Amino acid sequence: MTRHVTIEPVAEQACDSEPARGMDVQRVLVLATCALALLLLPFISSEYVLTLAVEVMIAGVFASGLNVLIGYTGLASAGHAMFFGLGGYGIGIGTAIYGWPLWASVPVTLVCVAAISAVVGAICTRTRGVEFLLITLAFCQMFYGAAVKLRLTNGTDGMAGIPRPDLSWLGLSADGSIVFYGYVALVAVAALLLVARIVHSPFGSVLIAIRENERRAMAMGYAVGAYKIGAFTLSGVVCALAGILQAQYTYFINPDSMSWQSSGEGILMVIIGGADAVMGPFIGAAVFVLVKQGLSLITGEYNLFFGIFFMLVVAFFRGGVVGAFRTLIGKWR
Amino acid sequence: MSALEVRNLRKAFGGLEVIANLNLSVPAGQRRAVIGPNGAGKTTLFNLITGWQPPTSGEILLHGVPLRSGRPDLVTRGGLSRSFQKNMLLDSVTVLENLRVACQAADRSRHSFLRSPASFPDVRRKARRAAEKMHLDNCLDRTVNELSYGQKRQLEVAVALCAEPKILLMDEPAAGTSPAERTNLIRLINELPADLTIVLVEHDMDVVFAICDVVTVLSYGKVLATGSKDEIQGNPEVIEAYLGKQHA
Ligand SMILES: Nc1ncnc2c1ncn2[C@@H]1O[C@H](COP(=O)(O)OP(=O)(O)OP(=O)(O)O)[C@@H](O)[C@H]1O
Ligand SMILES: [Mg+2]
Repeated sequence: MTRHVTIEPVAEQACDSEPARGMDVQRVLVLATCALALLLLPFISSEYVLTLAVEVMIAGVFASGLNVLIGYTGLASAGHAMFFGLGGYGIGIGTAIYGWPLWASVPVTLVCVAAISAVVGAICTRTRGVEFLLITLAFCQMFYGAAVKLRLTNGTDGMAGIPRPDLSWLGLSADGSIVFYGYVALVAVAALLLVARIVHSPFGSVLIAIRENERRAMAMGYAVGAYKIGAFTLSGVVCALAGILQAQYTYFINPDSMSWQSSGEGILMVIIGGADAVMGPFIGAAVFVLVKQGLSLITGEYNLFFGIFFMLVVAFFRGGVVGAFRTLIGKWR
Repeated sequence: MSALEVRNLRKAFGGLEVIANLNLSVPAGQRRAVIGPNGAGKTTLFNLITGWQPPTSGEILLHGVPLRSGRPDLVTRGGLSRSFQKNMLLDSVTVLENLRVACQAADRSRHSFLRSPASFPDVRRKARRAAEKMHLDNCLDRTVNELSYGQKRQLEVAVALCAEPKILLMDEPAAGTSPAERTNLIRLINELPADLTIVLVEHDMDVVFAICDVVTVLSYGKVLATGSKDEIQGNPEVIEAYLGKQHA
């Protein structure tokens, strides 16, 4: 026993700390740069840029929620816009129909979405591969159909007047673009940190094991089904959070938020960013939003050019933008 | 009481009866080999014992407790672990992480989702010990993709050992390895604690006799014979089963 104690610290250093420390310095640098950029942006940029930044962050939260499932658990969902939409509708219904304050509507919405995504997840995760893709898509279409048909959600017209947070107690108004930017940045960073914490936990390591070899994970003694439902639920709640921000950003929610196109855009962002990394989805979201903006300024056919761009990324950047960047750094060293 | 008891076990895939009224009893601490020609039903037997597949009929008792099929994870947590004939590893993950996740399954930390795996050093220590046992401590930071085939087979067994089983099933651990790797593997397996019950499926008779004292011969899902090396080698039915396979 004592022999172990004396040997192990040495072994630990020899094996782990070299690459780990390199990664840590890199990570701290990247995070510090991001934090600085986030802080400085409102002071150096135009309102238009701030608006874009808000869109990037909201899309980033959505993509990182989806990434818990696609990147970490290896389950490609084509229906996660349903949770994005449920988030927006949740606070819309809470505030407008029931007359609850926003601070009550948000947690109630998130709890309801957690319950719904646990149930949907319990059903969907019994399948895998293409079947999983299709059944999640089917659920999404079901919610989309409900949003179109129901009186509660005001059909295709959608719900207007979704409130932003009341910050008058701070002497601020969230209607201002800088204040709203700050609010979204805070929520997005908190969501990203939470997701990062969870995927780098023992729970997260089981998700990776499931992605790598589900049968082995089971043979190791994990109740794989429960872990998959857990991942699905977490992913649903994070996507709902993004949906809440989006509804507040536009003061509006309609069934389009739950369309299969929104689900597909989420998948694109995850793939562009590189499915594996925590920052990946945010970078994917940034690339997605900016390239789409840029292209739409140049041409009306931006969807076509975006398709070409996407194919180039998939063909030449294995592991997405983050993967390509890592490879580049690896070569350069 | 036997560590593993199989009674009147049957398994049919459609019309094909792969396990036909099989009885088997392995006392605790025994090193038992199960041999038989290709397609005899050895892997299927393991799949039934570990709950991967439901038997068509019959009973399986682990330390006297009837097995509940359909939940391989519970079988593992109940003290029976297996290695697979075809490697089933977490391919793009490091050797250490493969073992750490395997050890974590038996630890309370498996439910934790807000702390880092680093805050559970016990699990990591166990993983390292498992690596040492299978002589993998020199490649802990390599991903499985970067290992030699022999090392992968060693890792396959090491991962199974992480569950700290009382019964260990190994499905052809030496298949496809070099003679040197094979000798190494035999030594490593023989160094395992004496109270561990082992059931070994293996085609290589040198490996079988280097590890096991009792051999069960399977043919078409039935037990042909059970006995020591000499009893088996002198058994005419066994000779015929193997010759029959060669002629086929
Ligand atoms: N899921 C299945 N469905 C149908 N037939 C199966 C299935 N699994 C195994 N079999 C058949 O059962 C028979 C026994 O297979 P098994 O894998 O148990 O043999 P084995 O003794 O392990 O052979 P080997 O030495 O080649 O590994 C084979 O004929 C195989 O084709
Ligand atoms: Mg087999």
